[in-house]
Amino acid sequence: MKLSTKHLLGIKDLTKEDIQLILSTASDFKDVLQRPVKKVPSLRDVTIVNLFYENSTRTRMSFELAEKRLSADTLNFAASSSSAAKGETLLDTVQNILSMKVDMIVMRHSASGAPHFLSKQIDAAIINAGDGINEHPTQALLDAFSMQEKFGSLEGLKVAIIGDIMHSRVALSNIYLLKKMGAEVMVAGPPTLIPKYIKEALNVRVEYNVKNALQWCDVANVLRIQLERQSQPLFSSLREYNLAYGISRKLLDSIGKEITIMHPGPINRGVELDSDVADGSNSIILNQVENGVAVRMAALYLLRPQNN
Amino acid sequence: MKLLIKKVLIADKKSPFSGLTKDILVIDGKISLISDEITSPADETIETEGLIISQGWVDVFTDFADPGYEYRESLESGAAAALAGGFSHVFVLPNTKPAIQNKPQVSYIIEKAKQLPVAVYPIGAVSKNLEGKDLAEMYEMQQAGAIAFSDGTHPLQSSGLLLKALQYIIAFDGTIIQVPVDKSIGAFGLMTEGVVSTQLGLPGSPALSETLIIKRDLDLLRYTNSKLHITGISTAESVALIAAAKAEGLSVSCSVTPYHLFFCDEDMVSYDTNLKVTPPLRNRKDMLALREAVIDGTVDCITSHHLPQNWDSKTCEFEYAAQGMIGLQTSFAVVNNLFSDLSTDRLADLFSNNARELFNIPSNNIEVGSEADFTLFTKNGNHVFTKAANKSKSVNSAFFDVPLAGSVVGVYTKGKWNKN
Repeated sequence: MKLSTKHLLGIKDLTKEDIQLILSTASDFKDVLQRPVKKVPSLRDVTIVNLFYENSTRTRMSFELAEKRLSADTLNFAASSSSAAKGETLLDTVQNILSMKVDMIVMRHSASGAPHFLSKQIDAAIINAGDGINEHPTQALLDAFSMQEKFGSLEGLKVAIIGDIMHSRVALSNIYLLKKMGAEVMVAGPPTLIPKYIKEALNVRVEYNVKNALQWCDVANVLRIQLERQSQPLFSSLREYNLAYGISRKLLDSIGKEITIMHPGPINRGVELDSDVADGSNSIILNQVENGVAVRMAALYLLRPQNN
Repeated sequence: MKLLIKKVLIADKKSPFSGLTKDILVIDGKISLISDEITSPADETIETEGLIISQGWVDVFTDFADPGYEYRESLESGAAAALAGGFSHVFVLPNTKPAIQNKPQVSYIIEKAKQLPVAVYPIGAVSKNLEGKDLAEMYEMQQAGAIAFSDGTHPLQSSGLLLKALQYIIAFDGTIIQVPVDKSIGAFGLMTEGVVSTQLGLPGSPALSETLIIKRDLDLLRYTNSKLHITGISTAESVALIAAAKAEGLSVSCSVTPYHLFFCDEDMVSYDTNLKVTPPLRNRKDMLALREAVIDGTVDCITSHHLPQNWDSKTCEFEYAAQGMIGLQTSFAVVNNLFSDLSTDRLADLFSNNARELFNIPSNNIEVGSEADFTLFTKNGNHVFTKAANKSKSVNSAFFDVPLAGSVVGVYTKGKWNKN
């Protein structure tokens, strides 16, 4: 079984069959991760570089763990402590790394389209671990995996993505994936944080009132306020954001139905999500993190050099 | 030197031979005979199917990056590209280092241009150091040979300064050239805001950032009764605003680039950094409105916005890539390819006559006794721009190896025949 693409740059380029293949492969790997010996030899002799031009805790560790569980040799790169800080270009850095016989690249970058640029210049398979405000495909896949685990299927599922949609690659990848898999999607948040043309561009519902969004959905995927990506005033204060869009126990109780809570992390507690909701019984936030390793193992396995 | 041009269609409304197909004999830089058939011997004879002649072409907005950024372009390489593209006259931007903002800088260009095969006119800066704060010495620059005034790729943001500049230039019949971009709206935008930017996850800059500043500039123009040329317009609403202002009688003119006519945001799905331009490529509806405006006459000139960038600054992440595209050598072929039915007179107006009139460049009509200042071209035949044929120092073009139509046969200017 093969994917229709050579790289995993975004969900936008995947077919429904690709997504199903990754999810079912992830399911197999999740079984492996329950065993006492969690390591398989699938990527033995494959060298993978984790190229992080932007900070990351969860994603980088999740990828590294996935690589190690697959027996790959791994190499870590952080832009802040490398020659990139001395002004080396992305292309130069990557060509230097590849000349040391590296087979695959996992890459995070603050510029949208950076992995797409790289894919036109080099041969090695690239997995996008987040590019600017564009896509974060493995996050969307692990979100889908977690939802599928809980609900059995994504078909017809009502998912509200709540928060800073404008600056979120998680939102875009999730929207592409959920639409391809037959789920219904709503985005909710302050109008300054929702792209003006999102309804026409991505065929989603738009809601500016968080209570209405919660009343509609089965799953609330709550996004982090991307303070580091906002260079102009888009809302007044975190306090007011919490008042208008924060999800509290009280708010959830007031709508009288069970909603599954998700969050890609890291959480700004007390801003977009109150602690009792984040840690509550309907939260599957830690399942998402757990599933992330299996999903990334699946992506790496399916894009391994021999398979391309 | 005797040049004989056989069976050439004369695209010059002001020529007594307008619209006729004639033989033309040029002797030592002067048109000496125009007749149905000339048989006298010549040093060189041009005979090509579908040959057309117009006054030498003019491009009012090009960046030759000289002085200061000669690794991108120089006056010499820029002039070579202009010549190959059919242009005998080009205006160069003041966005150099140092900026063209005083008499010595203007004189540098004027002096150096004397040795070049085409006429190169400096555009003087409106503001000191292109900072948009204080007026530069426009009067003296005009005396020294500046053809117009603009802050080039840093369009004037301050309403107060533009108001003063528009008033100031009236005294010497100057013209201000503005690229219509309000930098405070969509300041972080990397492409036009819309369906495509949302799907691509690229920060958008709304068309509003253009139309808002055009409205403001037109208001200032109405108040000052001065002269304004808006270049690189890219939206349907911009066309409507300018058409209305013209109808009202304001001295406003505008130009479009070939790339805004050829491409739209839908072409950006591969994050091609060559398509990162200012103003950004807009949506399909805007592109079609621009094409309509070329046909109906709202657009006065085609200008390439030739903006060379070195390889490194385009072979990188889209966000970090520099703005602009080279275009002198593809300007005509792109337009001709899109508008195969456009009359030769309209082509001559768009590429030459209108700019000459707007910026007071002397006419050299196609008639006996005129100085030879003309472009010879054909509308038919395929044209493919290749890296081997590129005369610019830079290669930032989205038109390499794209099949286009028509070709420039050569340019006669500054007393010399330059065959392509």
